[in-house]
Amino acid sequence: MKRRQLLVAAIGLAASPLALAQSFGGKTVTIIVGYKPGGGYDATARLLARYLPKHLPGKPTVIVQNMPGGNSIIAANHLYNVAKPDGLTIGTFNRNLPIAQLTSVEGVKYDITKFQWIGSAANETTILAIRSELPYKTFEELRKAKEQVVIGSTGPGANTHDFPLLLKDLLGVNLKIVSGYSSSADIMLAVERKEVDGRAGSFTSLRPFIERNLVKPIVRARSTEPGLENLPVDESFAPNPRAKAIMALRSAPELIARPYVLPPKTPAPIVAAMREAFAKTIQDPELIAEGKKTKTELEFTSGDQAVKILAEVLNQPKEIVQEFSKYIKFGE
Amino acid sequence: MLEALWEGLLLILQWKPFAFMLVGVLVGFWVGLLPGIGGATTLALMLPFIYTMQPVEAFAFLLGMHSVVATTGDITSILFGVPGEATTAAIILDGHAMAKRGEAGRALGAALTASLIGALIGAAALALAIPIVRPLVLTFGSPEMFMLAIVGLAFIASLSAQGARGMVRGFLAGGLGMMLAMVGQDPQAGVARFTLGTLYLWQGLDLVPVLVGLFAIPEIIDLAVRGTSIAGGVPAGRISRGALEGVKDVFRNFFLTIRCALIGTFIGITPGLGGAVAQWMAYGHATQSARTPEERKGFGAGDVRGVIGPGAACNSKEGGALIPTIAFGVPGSTSMAILLGGFFLLGLVPGPEMLTKHLALTFSLVWTIVLANVITVVVCALLLNRLAGLTNVAGHRLIPVILVLVFIGSFTSNSQYADILVTLVFGGVGYLMVVAGWPRAPLVLGLVLGKIAENYLYISVARYDAAWLARPVVVALLVVAAAVVCYPVFQAWRGRRRSQHA
Amino acid sequence: MRNRASLILALAIAALSGWAIFSALAWPWKAKLFPLVISIPLLCLALAEVLWVLLGSAPGAAAADFKLSEEHPPEVARRRTAIAVAWIGGFFVVILLLGFLIAVPLLVFAYLKLQGKESWGFSIAFTLALWAGFYGLFDQLLHLPFPAGWLFEWLGLAG
Repeated sequence: MKRRQLLVAAIGLAASPLALAQSFGGKTVTIIVGYKPGGGYDATARLLARYLPKHLPGKPTVIVQNMPGGNSIIAANHLYNVAKPDGLTIGTFNRNLPIAQLTSVEGVKYDITKFQWIGSAANETTILAIRSELPYKTFEELRKAKEQVVIGSTGPGANTHDFPLLLKDLLGVNLKIVSGYSSSADIMLAVERKEVDGRAGSFTSLRPFIERNLVKPIVRARSTEPGLENLPVDESFAPNPRAKAIMALRSAPELIARPYVLPPKTPAPIVAAMREAFAKTIQDPELIAEGKKTKTELEFTSGDQAVKILAEVLNQPKEIVQEFSKYIKFGE
Repeated sequence: MLEALWEGLLLILQWKPFAFMLVGVLVGFWVGLLPGIGGATTLALMLPFIYTMQPVEAFAFLLGMHSVVATTGDITSILFGVPGEATTAAIILDGHAMAKRGEAGRALGAALTASLIGALIGAAALALAIPIVRPLVLTFGSPEMFMLAIVGLAFIASLSAQGARGMVRGFLAGGLGMMLAMVGQDPQAGVARFTLGTLYLWQGLDLVPVLVGLFAIPEIIDLAVRGTSIAGGVPAGRISRGALEGVKDVFRNFFLTIRCALIGTFIGITPGLGGAVAQWMAYGHATQSARTPEERKGFGAGDVRGVIGPGAACNSKEGGALIPTIAFGVPGSTSMAILLGGFFLLGLVPGPEMLTKHLALTFSLVWTIVLANVITVVVCALLLNRLAGLTNVAGHRLIPVILVLVFIGSFTSNSQYADILVTLVFGGVGYLMVVAGWPRAPLVLGLVLGKIAENYLYISVARYDAAWLARPVVVALLVVAAAVVCYPVFQAWRGRRRSQHA
Repeated sequence: MRNRASLILALAIAALSGWAIFSALAWPWKAKLFPLVISIPLLCLALAEVLWVLLGSAPGAAAADFKLSEEHPPEVARRRTAIAVAWIGGFFVVILLLGFLIAVPLLVFAYLKLQGKESWGFSIAFTLALWAGFYGLFDQLLHLPFPAGWLFEWLGLAG
């Protein structure tokens, strides 16, 4: 596989990168996913892979390869150090990889800002939802709760854990976080049997249960989606700038929740062609219709925008990073 | 209720859904045979086709595929000693031993019949349980899940050799398995445990490379040492008969089949325990049916009951596994998560209404499982004796094929060379264990249940303090666990008394 | 033989659990509790088994598990075991050096010809059939990311 690609790439490069940028005709573009098949990142990649050829010059074949492990650090390292910068390899991985770089996680062999960013295919809104029959109707009421509210979580590094943890530690909400559930679905069952009072997670994953009136949304992080605009934002309750910075830092990657990148040093014409095709693909009406049917909603963020967000994440003063690492561990 | 049952059958018997189910069965057949390629990977690949189907067709296709994977996984396990799926490893112990004795036909006959009966019982139990399924699932909280994991671990006693020394070895293997389950980032403090500084181990050890190494490598070495075909010197004529004998074996042990099928159904309904557990509990239960020490020794050497037990449990759990997905809208596995996407396509949000308003659709899912299994078993039955003939192929022709399957099968789990390294390391461990007469099953049980036990214990304590110990189901399960541990001792004592009397 | 394998396993488990206890001590208590609860008894059991073997007691009953065949004299069995292990290990090394796509047909062919002493025709036909199935399924259909062989990387032919 790889060898054939490389051969193709060699020919392509010999013919000058510009020629390649004009046409991907007869070539195979590979999207490397940092997770196993079946999850959200994988599903988005496979959806894009079917519509991307239509918008790329020359209509190349687009295939998806899975390279799981190390919460997708392995895929990012591969893309940074091994993959050829010829436009034929695209990567999509864990949105929290900038956090891993920021907190100097062992094994990180990439600089996230040096990737050639194509953009992001979706954003993700983290919300906290609690059981509908609980007496707290608003976040204000929840903050004043006398009794402890039990929140189920999968473990540090996941938004099911980190989001409520900051609400508890920085805003003083009376929460008890019980971690160790094997998946967010597992927590949902615990909510059903009243073992826990609620869970945090992406709005997409919680929406069916909100529609069924099992849980109600109570507070969200910075990123938003239609229907959630009026939900209060955690940062707006921050008692001091330090707390606000930490909450902002945790939620920033959610604005680029499905990142797509090219290897560093990919020639500019190729990057430009890929960015254009990516933007067109996400706005393709057929794809939007299909995404609606399967409840995978896409939201385009440009590569430039993504880089701006990354710069914000990575340019934190040392003491904020230190404070941040006390609460948040890289994961998922 | 009966009306919905009938309507559900009619839904699936329309020609297009039925045709798609057949296609699904065909795909699942191959996915099951090939080690490493799991149902979830295949489902993800099939998604583009699913979007173009009508919802009922998509269900028929997905479930048809999903429900035969375990059935054909048994075939690879029995014939070659390579686990076709992570859920069909237990059947190797006696199934492959029978194949080596020239009884592959009989083992396959027994396994397929048991799976069919298991699937039917699982589906029937599911249909009967529908009115009470929500309360049933909801009584199983984290404390009960922890105790179920303990019951599972208690089966280590049944899977070990008798006598103090046998027990010590069994628990050594089980403890090693539990230690291995601790590898990876822990969900309490987020510490990377025992990862040797690698990213590969960060998310824990994958089951497939471990199982493939543990079971397949010793068999390959043994096959090379014997220098013959798998069935050795047994004449070809005899091997390709005997399937009918296997069918009869199941009916001779009919109540064992039913009990193991019920174990499977129960594990299936309880979300979070994972499909790989049911087979080993059923195998442990099957060994308990031995009445004398001599009979006990026959297990692992090709006792047909060791084939029937896991065979029945493996398929009966599929019906049960649907429950959390349908009744609560929470998928228990990746495959089920993809199935959930099918509900969204239909414009349905799975939940309590699936058991009332959309009951017919729910039943059509049950019927799909039943029909897919019946079709697979009938098709396999026609091929059975021919399949068994594979055990007569010269070893040096089979070994390269099996080796390729082993290497690629483990490589598919993470697409990294480390997967193969894990397989080789556990191949070495498995070989040593076989030479030393240590049981390998407890290691697998420990590996599968260790993490579950730890997580649910923490949740139970964090949520209920010590009060969870007093919950009635917890106490009942504790008694069951104690009984499971004590039974082998009782069995040994009874066996001694019988042989004294004889 | 059985006792010696048992001794190796027990010593390995003892060493492993000792290492596990040692490395767990540095963790926060929530992360170390369970590993310690398992590894401490495991160490004791492993040492008990070591003592059992060293004190020369009989191996005891074997578990309900597969037993290696004993139809060949030990020296033949040992030689064949070594050859099988060499093939398995060699397979891995060749995959590393040449990559899956070349290693698979090469090794299947080599095994058939050298170990199986099959005819040229059969070996080639069998290898081609297997390779076609392998390539079609895993490369073309499943798109597994097969890395290029290390040899090619060293030679600068790929990278």
